[in-house]
Formats: sequence, structure tokens, C-alpha cells
Amino acid sequence: MLRHTLLFTGYELGVMRRNLAWPIIGIMQPVLYLLLFAPLLTSITPNGELTEALIVFTPAALVMIALFGSMFAGFGMINETRNGVLERLAVSQAWRPAIILGRVVKDMLMLVLQSLLVLGVAALMGLRISLAAMGLMLLLMAVTGLFAANLSYGLALAVRDENGMSQIVQFFLLPLMLLSGLMLPMSLAPDWMQTVAKFNPLYYAVEAGRALFAGDFSDSDIPIAFGIFLVLGVLALTWSVRSLRKLAG
Amino acid sequence: MLDIPTNGENVIIEAHDLRKTFIAKRGRGKTEEVEAVRGIDLAVDEGEIFACLGPNGAGKTTTVRMLATFTIPTSGTARVAGFDVVKEAAKVREKIGYVGQAGGVDDNAPGRESLVLAGRIAGMSRKEALARAEELFAAFSLSEIADRPVKTLSGGQKRRFSLAIGLVNRPPLVFLDEPTTGLDPQNRANLWDEIRALRDQGTSVLLTTHYLDEADALCDRLVIVDHGEIVAEGTPEKLKKELAGDVVTLRLDDLDGARKVLAAQPYIKETQVEGDSLRAYLDDGEHGLPTLLRALEAENLAIRSISLDRATLDDVFLKHTGRSLRDAA
Ligand SMILES: Nc1ncnc2c1ncn2[C@@H]1O[C@H](COP(=O)(O)OP(=O)(O)O)[C@@H](O)[C@H]1O
Ligand SMILES: [Mg+2]
Repeated sequence: MLRHTLLFTGYELGVMRRNLAWPIIGIMQPVLYLLLFAPLLTSITPNGELTEALIVFTPAALVMIALFGSMFAGFGMINETRNGVLERLAVSQAWRPAIILGRVVKDMLMLVLQSLLVLGVAALMGLRISLAAMGLMLLLMAVTGLFAANLSYGLALAVRDENGMSQIVQFFLLPLMLLSGLMLPMSLAPDWMQTVAKFNPLYYAVEAGRALFAGDFSDSDIPIAFGIFLVLGVLALTWSVRSLRKLAG
Repeated sequence: MLDIPTNGENVIIEAHDLRKTFIAKRGRGKTEEVEAVRGIDLAVDEGEIFACLGPNGAGKTTTVRMLATFTIPTSGTARVAGFDVVKEAAKVREKIGYVGQAGGVDDNAPGRESLVLAGRIAGMSRKEALARAEELFAAFSLSEIADRPVKTLSGGQKRRFSLAIGLVNRPPLVFLDEPTTGLDPQNRANLWDEIRALRDQGTSVLLTTHYLDEADALCDRLVIVDHGEIVAEGTPEKLKKELAGDVVTLRLDDLDGARKVLAAQPYIKETQVEGDSLRAYLDDGEHGLPTLLRALEAENLAIRSISLDRATLDDVFLKHTGRSLRDAA
């Protein structure tokens, strides 16, 4: 089981290594966000300093990679429903969940690497966090990726149409983004929005990230975020594997 | 239980009354039932090339997908390499190679990568998989292009990679769904040779095709399928012999009149109307033709054109379905 998952991950990493341009373009957006948005918001921080704004907005920039990167991971698989690759793998000796999980692990690794690069940029801008906070943040990104990528593959296998899938993802992107406090912290929002945000898993990722960066390791949002993403990740994987079976009609 | 004769050797595929009904979406929440396969019995011997011949939409792909454990049958049973395709799917998968209609090769990676991955999924170490890949590249003349992204290759080259990937685990049985569709004549002929070579090494092959000449030239036995059912079964020779050795194709104005006349001739075994021509089947065309002409002349039936040919599997298809395979939708 684990062997098959890692085999698929290794293969996918090889494919990615040959097309390194895409993951690099993928972090341009969060980097620009940090460079152009964080300075804008120094005024709302207590002392009006950029480092304070970075503590609030670097976690948001990281979640953004998950949202704009991992949520689109499934696109490539739509083609594989047509070119016969999934059909062949489904009747091979592969453990079926590994077909999806192997790709998800690749997406998780990629997300962690991209996060490291964005953290590097934030550090150059003046962000200072502890090693423990950084490690936990990267782990949090890994489980966010586990959920987002699995969801994306599930969606790809259920919809099986590039246009349909891009409409659906686009439709959810803006509300998910605004309701996670990615742009502005939800503490600035009216009560009803704060209530709605509690149903958005990404909200917990952003909040947990901010707590970690502020050095507040006892914040309850941290274990909640890990728990939510692990559970939702497993559910999304189950859904993708079922959709894979449905390919056969 | 099975009424299909085999050569009495070990059977590698045995299917009984296989059926598949798809529930297809028809928009606005409506669904429609599609009876893709409607009761198919099959028995394929070890070491033979067995063909499913039929027009598009006949249910060939669905049949192969059920035998290869991809699609679960709506009803009926099948055993492949001794294992039940539903209850023992994992065991079946160890014994088969499957090359789908779409090919199933990843376009973005070099063929070598796909092959090594397939080998390792089948349980080989990296070293073994690399060695097996080399072996297959040599067999299919792929060594020089093994490290190029597959999307830069020609149709024939891609098809050879598909076949190589399907054979990576040295399966005793390989399914080939329309292996030569879209290939030029040269590549088709090469692929036929490769498929024959497989049989000569003892691999059983089940292939589907809508090309008559392919079934005729390549397979040891075949079934002809139409609308999800088997309409004829046997060796190509037997099927053609059952009908007749030769066929006379006539174009004339009074098709029905001519048909009546010919049907009454003792040496004519069968007549069929296909479009604006009449086909008459007989065993010894060279000797029968003059007699046939005289009979038509006696009834004053004017002939516009006439030709004498060997009967083909298309004639068998025409006899059983009333349509020509070339025209069948
Ligand atoms: N997954 C599916 N869902 C609905 N209908 C299907 C599906 N697969 C095949 N069919 C239908 O079943 C019939 C047989 O298809 P198929 O087995 O692909 O035929 P062939 O391979 O002989 O061309 C066709 O009418 C086709 O439209
Ligand atoms: Mg088909």
C-alpha cells in the first residue's frame, strides 16, 4: 500500500521536475501578495510595523498557495480519464487509493516546498519566527494540501470536464478566500460573517497559522485545524476512490 | 453448460451470459438505460488469438472491460485465468495485461518512465523493471525513442508503447481493444506480426476489432457481435464455409425478381440484398457463374454489372444481421 503510494509519488515528482516552471509560477501570486499587500496593511497593526503585518499575512499567503495551487491539482487527472491511463491503472495490480494518494503526496510535498520559498521571501522582508513555529506551519500546510488536493481529485473524477471543473472551483474560490480571513482578519468582520467562517475549513488554517506565528502555541485553533484537515482529507480521498470506480460506468 | 466448442485445451476465459446495462445521463436529471452487452458466452483457449469482431457500439469494449475487471457486470459470470472477475478481481489482475482503446500511455513522460512504473507496480524491483523495460524496447523497436516524451511520438510508436506496458508483467493473457485502429497499413502489418509473435510465445490474446481483414488474417477463432449479442462464432474458415466459398455480386433493376430466380437454383446457397446490389452465395463460383447467367437471361433480367469474389467475414456479418459491417452504425 505504502509502496505503491510512494511509487506513484516518485513518478509524479519526476514529471514535475521536467516542468519546474509551473510550481514556480504558482508561488508568484502569494509572493506578490506579500510584497504588495502586507505593506498596505501596516497601518492596521498596533504599532504600524511591517513585521507585525507579516505575522498576520504570511500564513494567509501560504494558505493562498493551497487554494490557488492544490485546488487545481485535479485538472491533469481529467485528461487521464480520457487517455486510458486511469483505466489501465485501475486493472493493474496497484492498490487503488494509491493512484490518488500518490499524487496527493506529491502535491503536499510541492506545497511545503513552495511554502518554504514564500517563508524565505517573508524572512527577507523582516519576518522572524521560531523554528518550532515554522515546522508546525509547514506541517499544517501539508495537511491543508492533503485536504485540498484530495478534494480537487475527487472533483475532477466526478465532473470529468475541464470547463465544468474550472467553473466550480472559481465559484468557490472567492467566498472561501474572503471567509477565511485571507484578505483581512475575520475579527474585523460582523458577527454573522464570523459565524459563517466557522464552517470554512480554511479559516482554521489561517487562524492556526497566525497563532503559530505569534508564538501562541496553546491556541485551540491549532489542534482544530490539524484535526479538521486530517478528517476531511480522508473523506475526500474516499470520495475520489469511489469516483474512480464510477469511471467504469 | 457452454455450447461453444473449444479445442479441448485449457480455457483461459470462460464467460457465461454476461450482461451490462449502463444508466446514462440524458440531461435535465433524466436517465436512460443502455443495454451495452446482452448475454455473451465466451470460451477462449490458452494460447490462441481470439477476436471480437463487430461494428462501433456493438459492446466490444464493454465486454473486454468486464473481463479485465474494470467494469462490473450487471449479471452473468466470467472466469479469467481460473478466477472470478468480480470476486477474485485482484487475482485476475495479476494474470492479465490490458491495452485499452485509448492506449493509456502518459503523454507527459518518456515511455521508459511509464514502463518502469508499471513494472514496479507489478512487484518488480527498480533493477528488474529497468531490465524488463529494455527487453520490451528491444522487442518492439522502441529503444531509440524510450527517453522522449510520449507526446512527441507518432501514433504507431505510441501504440507500441501501450502494448509494451500491457506486457510488462509477462501476463499469460492480454486484452487488446482495437489495437490497430487509426494506424497506417505498414504499422498495422507490423503490429499483426507482433501479436502473432506473442501467441507463438504462448500468450493468449483477446482482441477486438471492427476490421474484417484483421479478424480474418490474425485470429484463430472469433465471435461476431452486434447490438451486444454474439451472432456467429467459430474459426474464420468455418464461418465462411458455412456460408459458401464464393459470392456473385449483381447490379440490376429488378432486384426482387432476380432474387426469386436465383433462390430457386439448387447450387445457390443463399441470397442477400445489400443496397442496390444482390449477392448470391455459391461454392464453386467459376463453374456456377455461366449457369447463373443463363438462368437470369431466361427470365429476361437485364444485368448492369457483375463480379465474382471469395466470400469474406463481411458476408457472414451480412447474413446474420442483414447489414454490411462497413455500413453498420
Ligand atoms: N460508461 C458508459 N455509460 C453509458 N453508456 C455506455 C458506456 N460505455 C459504453 N456505453 C454504450 O454502450 C454501447 C456499447 O459500447 P462499447 O462497448 O464501447 O462498444 P464498442 O466497443 O463495440 O464500440 C454503446 O451504445 C455505448 O454508447
Ligand atoms: Mg470500443
